[in-house]
Amino acid sequence: MLGPDTTWYVAVAAVLFGIGTTGVILRRSPLIVLLSLEIMLNASNLALVGFSRHFATVDGQVFAISVMAVAAAEVCVGLGLIVAFTRRKMELDVDTLTELRG
Amino acid sequence: MGNFLVWVIWIAAALACISTGVAVISFTNPFYSALALIGNLASLAVLFLLASAEFVAAAQILVYAGAVMVMFLFVIAYLGGRADAPWAGGPRWLQLGAFIVGAALLMEVIVALATKAGGDLSDGEELSRSFGSPAEIGRLFLTDHLLAFEITSIVLLVAAVGGVVLGMKSSAEDNA
Amino acid sequence: MIAGAWLCLLAPLAGALLITLAGTHISRSAAAWISTGSVFVGFAGAAVAFLQVAGENVDDREHLSTAYTWLGVPGFKVAMQILVDPVSLTMMLIITGVGGLIVWYSMGYMKGEDEERRYFAYMAFFVFAMLMLVMGGNLLLLLVGWGLVGLASYLLIGFYHDRPEAVAAAKKAFIMNAIGDATMALGFFLLIAKTGSLDFSTVFAAASDGSLSSSTANLVALGLLGGAIAKSAQLPLHTWLPDAMEGPTPVSALIHAATMVTAGVYLIVRTHAIFEAAPNVQHLSAIIGGVTIIVAGVIALVQWDIKRVIAYSTMSQIGYMFLAAGIGAYGYAMFHLMTHAFFKALLFLSAGIIIHHLAGEQDIRRMGGLRKVMPFTHAAFLVGALALAGIPPLSGFWSKDGIISSALAEGGALGYTLVVIGLVGALLTGAYTFRLYYLVFHGEPSELVLEHSGGHGSGHSYGQEDAQSHDGHGHAEGPLSMLIPVGVLTVLAAIGGLVVIPGVWEPFLTWIDGVAEPLVTPTVAQEYATSAVAVALAAAGIWLARRAFAAGRELVADGAVRTTLEHKLYFDELYDTVFSRPAQVIANRLRTDIEEPIVQGSLGEIGAGVSDAAVGTARLQTGLLRSYALVIAASVAVLVVVFLAAR
Repeated sequence: MLGPDTTWYVAVAAVLFGIGTTGVILRRSPLIVLLSLEIMLNASNLALVGFSRHFATVDGQVFAISVMAVAAAEVCVGLGLIVAFTRRKMELDVDTLTELRG
Repeated sequence: MGNFLVWVIWIAAALACISTGVAVISFTNPFYSALALIGNLASLAVLFLLASAEFVAAAQILVYAGAVMVMFLFVIAYLGGRADAPWAGGPRWLQLGAFIVGAALLMEVIVALATKAGGDLSDGEELSRSFGSPAEIGRLFLTDHLLAFEITSIVLLVAAVGGVVLGMKSSAEDNA
Repeated sequence: MIAGAWLCLLAPLAGALLITLAGTHISRSAAAWISTGSVFVGFAGAAVAFLQVAGENVDDREHLSTAYTWLGVPGFKVAMQILVDPVSLTMMLIITGVGGLIVWYSMGYMKGEDEERRYFAYMAFFVFAMLMLVMGGNLLLLLVGWGLVGLASYLLIGFYHDRPEAVAAAKKAFIMNAIGDATMALGFFLLIAKTGSLDFSTVFAAASDGSLSSSTANLVALGLLGGAIAKSAQLPLHTWLPDAMEGPTPVSALIHAATMVTAGVYLIVRTHAIFEAAPNVQHLSAIIGGVTIIVAGVIALVQWDIKRVIAYSTMSQIGYMFLAAGIGAYGYAMFHLMTHAFFKALLFLSAGIIIHHLAGEQDIRRMGGLRKVMPFTHAAFLVGALALAGIPPLSGFWSKDGIISSALAEGGALGYTLVVIGLVGALLTGAYTFRLYYLVFHGEPSELVLEHSGGHGSGHSYGQEDAQSHDGHGHAEGPLSMLIPVGVLTVLAAIGGLVVIPGVWEPFLTWIDGVAEPLVTPTVAQEYATSAVAVALAAAGIWLARRAFAAGRELVADGAVRTTLEHKLYFDELYDTVFSRPAQVIANRLRTDIEEPIVQGSLGEIGAGVSDAAVGTARLQTGLLRSYALVIAASVAVLVVVFLAAR
């Protein structure tokens, strides 16, 4: 096997996952939140591919393709929501959505 | 020599990955964040290639970076100035908590790897030439993972319908 | 005969239940008739049983009839059973007979009162409870009846529940009776521990054949005596009886003269086997009786309320009964119980007619000269007073002198002291009874009397009148329903003592002796000797009262003695200081130091704590999307650690 072994792949995936989580919780713009979510999904893709290479089965990559498809669908709906925000003249700020307050 | 090259490219791609990731969450302007994410996706594609996942890498570039991110850029362009929001804010504990939780998850994965996996991840199997080829992936999708394949297609259909519905103009709202 | 006895027990209960369940659907007079009828039906049942038992052989007269097993645990069994024997039959006849007359009298007396139906239900209930007491076939049923009569007494004393004095008197009676109930219960626990049963046969056999140790017998007898003292208002638990006069007059007649207060005497006669195994306690009861005779007698000399004089007289006469039971003269104790029921009920009911006629007035200083205004009542009262004083040939003479002569036959220091006490008591009885008689009936009619003597109906505000009271001179004193029972009781008080004529004819004593063998029997000579002295002393007392009345002064001159007597020897003040005040202080301290801070405070704290916790938990619902995301991510982080550690 050439290059770094699986541990390195998973480490990079973990770092990306952490960065993505921080972004989701930290940022107030829904667009950036969506982007951070994408980072998290990609991190899991990387881990999947790394393990697939380790065990020499292609199932990991198949799973990664599915994840990619689902991520695309989710982005589609998420962006639709954001556009709906602007249609209703609402601010693009996640902190203004406080209906659940109680 | 081959190994050395692989290592160099791998390190460079990994660094690019991480730095663009940090950049995504740091920029105020969502446009710059989206561009940074494209860079992230590209470096990930390089990593995929180095891991013998050729088809996944291609799909990553074509679908993710090509279609999804373009969609993102379209929406950001459409929103224009309205897309600007305060960088962060809100309660102190929230901001602090974000970093702490991110770091915690990271550490946990590292620790889990170190303690549980141990040295198991060092040696891998030998890979055949057609390891990550579309033929292999297609074969699995249509035999072992047929259900996943079908469900994924339904999810995509639902998302398309949802996108259309969300984008529809209802009669009441656009009179202003 | 057994059927008759069960009928006697259950008829008043049925009457009480019927009135209670019918509520306001029946008229007031219907309730009165149901109550009176049920008690007289009980009397019929008792009479039938009596006639049958009287015809039996002396040795066969005890009948125990069991209905079912009430309480059955391994090692201890109590059945619902009634005992029909001469003693219980005597009590049954007195209770239902005199009780029936009194309930009938109440029909006229209580007419027009608010809540009449409640009164009649309570009266029937009381008769049932008293019958349960005397007919109970084991000590536990006796205790049940004991408690129920205490309850009935409380309900009836406090009948006028808007009056705070009545409510306080009811509470006082109940609490003092509860002391007696407690000592009795303790005695019973000891009996169960030592003999394993509360049946009469088992317990009395254990007592008489010596299998109870003397300390056990003493303790049990003391417990029983405590109950008897409380129920019969003897010293030191006597202070409730004068206050109990707050109840309606028929209640005073039935409960606090004729029946309930004599329950203590019945108890001692019934459990005489235990007392005979503890002779010291038995003599103690005689001494307590003797002391009460004197104390009650002197206090009666200074009372101004007509009912209270009669109440203290009751206390004193029951002292005679305790004296008799204490020296073992059970026959005479029961005999005096019977004659006392007659003449004391007569006195109370006549007093009731007077009170009713004078629109509720009970102070004898405002009465006077009623002899001409109410001749029938005057005659009845005079008969009762003479019987009480013990003038022959009326009933009280035969019974009271029998007791004093039994004391003489007892002999010894105890016997002779009791003889002296009994004779002094006779003197006092004559004095206070006839002081009352002269003040009420003789002299010039007072203003109050003149107001009310224009006829029973004019300006009368004490309830409605019976229509019959308006017609005819003979009925002007009150309605027929009140006059007839008084007439019957007058006859009984006059001739009721003739069932025991020493040396000639003593059927009553033989009747009782079969159950409770007397320890002393006076000779005929002793009987007549004491009779002569007692009658002479009673006559002397009457003469003293007459002289004092003629001179317009009181028998007890003003001064320290009179003040002490007017304060009833300061017993109430003593109990207040020793028991009531400390109890209140303790209760208040408990309230301020424990109840409010700890109990109430903790409840308040729990409420406030829950509320605070809720408010704090509600703060989780910030509404901020990002905080929810943070919580989810943090939970995942924690769960990862958990899963890693668990594996």
